Amino acid sequence: MIFSQIFEMVNVGIVILDKEFKVYKWNRWMETYGKIPAEKIVGASLFTFFPDLNTPSFRRNFKAVTTFGNFAFFSQNLHGHLFPFKATNTLGTDIKYMQQNCTMGPIRDENNIINYVYIMVHDVTEIAVYEQKLLEMNIKDPMTGVYNRRYLESCLEREFEIHKRYKKPLSLIMLDIDFFKRVNDTCGHQCGDSILIECASFIDSNIRTVDILARYGGEEFCCLLPETRIESALSTAERIRKKIEDHTFHVNKTKIKITVSQGVAVLSPEITSPETLLKIADSALYKAKEDGRNRTVTIS
Amino acid sequence: MSSETNDIFSDEEKDILQEIMNIAFGSATADLAEVIDIFVELSVPQIHLIPVGELPDFLKNTIHAYDETVIVDQKFWGDFSGSGLLVLPSRATKEMLMLLADKEPEVSFTKTMATLEKESLVEIGNILIGACVGKLSELLKTFATYSPPRIINGSNVQNAFIKSFDPSQTAIVLKTIFKFEHKDLSGLLLLLANQESIGWLRKALHEFLESYE
Repeated sequence: MIFSQIFEMVNVGIVILDKEFKVYKWNRWMETYGKIPAEKIVGASLFTFFPDLNTPSFRRNFKAVTTFGNFAFFSQNLHGHLFPFKATNTLGTDIKYMQQNCTMGPIRDENNIINYVYIMVHDVTEIAVYEQKLLEMNIKDPMTGVYNRRYLESCLEREFEIHKRYKKPLSLIMLDIDFFKRVNDTCGHQCGDSILIECASFIDSNIRTVDILARYGGEEFCCLLPETRIESALSTAERIRKKIEDHTFHVNKTKIKITVSQGVAVLSPEITSPETLLKIADSALYKAKEDGRNRTVTIS
Repeated sequence: MSSETNDIFSDEEKDILQEIMNIAFGSATADLAEVIDIFVELSVPQIHLIPVGELPDFLKNTIHAYDETVIVDQKFWGDFSGSGLLVLPSRATKEMLMLLADKEPEVSFTKTMATLEKESLVEIGNILIGACVGKLSELLKTFATYSPPRIINGSNVQNAFIKSFDPSQTAIVLKTIFKFEHKDLSGLLLLLANQESIGWLRKALHEFLESYE
């Protein structure tokens, strides 16, 4: 009596299955989050309602429980979820399903014989969401939403190692907004910020998903282009430069035109460190500024 | 077997334990193949009784023979309590994945190859340790509960659990070499039980023997 009440009250999903995968008990938590009433699922095979669980791995774990009295663990880290329940409160992350830590184990009778198997489901969505948020904060620039400098540098290091082994080309674009101080001084910093944000999304929409765009400094962006030769890197940079030049930014009813200068570099056998590649792109950017801005320069 | 074991188990008791291990592991092997389609051969298990102080050296020497290893560690509780250790060569992680994979493994942003390999290692560790501990417990008329298995790195093995043993005590180490059938792949399975289990174990051994007399 007491235990059956607790069975319904606990903030944990509890399912009890017989040895043929038929549902024997389904507690209120499972009814609430699974949106399946107990009277509907009890007596039916679990796989009728959750066909995706019918995998060799799940059956193997289940049999290890019934045969050896093993426990089986389905951690959120490795599995995400066992039961596809809709997640609530995901704080804008792309988590679709409730994240779960699940345990499966034997239920024995008084003679130690295993007739039933339980599955307990813990909702750990909140922890998973915070973890994802923390990971994101660690690699993204909060204002523009593109990656931050640290993440770019770690990607560059990795790509550099891949290049050493597989000799695939790797290019890099350094981009700086021209006379950005003037924008800040005449229209204010908030206006400057919204231009930075718009600029970042402009560049982002003109590169591939495999490219890594980061805010490198105040009004400086850096874009890493894996498996890209200098010719395509230059044409990508030019496309970005022209689009920004042609675009009119609207901030608080003020029309603002901006241009960008860019330095482009590609990895060659003489370049022995990731830092050198950054330096070469930076010198090219400097030259673009020297030569009159609103242009793309590469140093070969 | 070293001399200090004499005052803990009599020769007869050691023989019974050996016999129970043979039956338990034999039946574990049979069930693994029949029920779960995992085909392994387990060698005749060796029993060592080792003062906990000497455990680090024993583990170092035993595991050292398996250079470049990954270790799955799982604790079990009950009358018979301790840790199970599955020691595999590092190259086995890929093989484990192939052994367990339902189909060609799908790598994605959230599920990298490393995650998939870890997943299969933990699963195989859980099943093998559970099978051996489970069968042993069954014969001794008890059952165990388990903590989630975790992967520990070879160099960390000593810190990771020597601490859970009282240095003044003696540990029972059950050692088996297992080999995956049709694969050139073998590893080591160690079950370490603490001294608290020894009293219970001796009693259980005698009860086991009586049931045959």
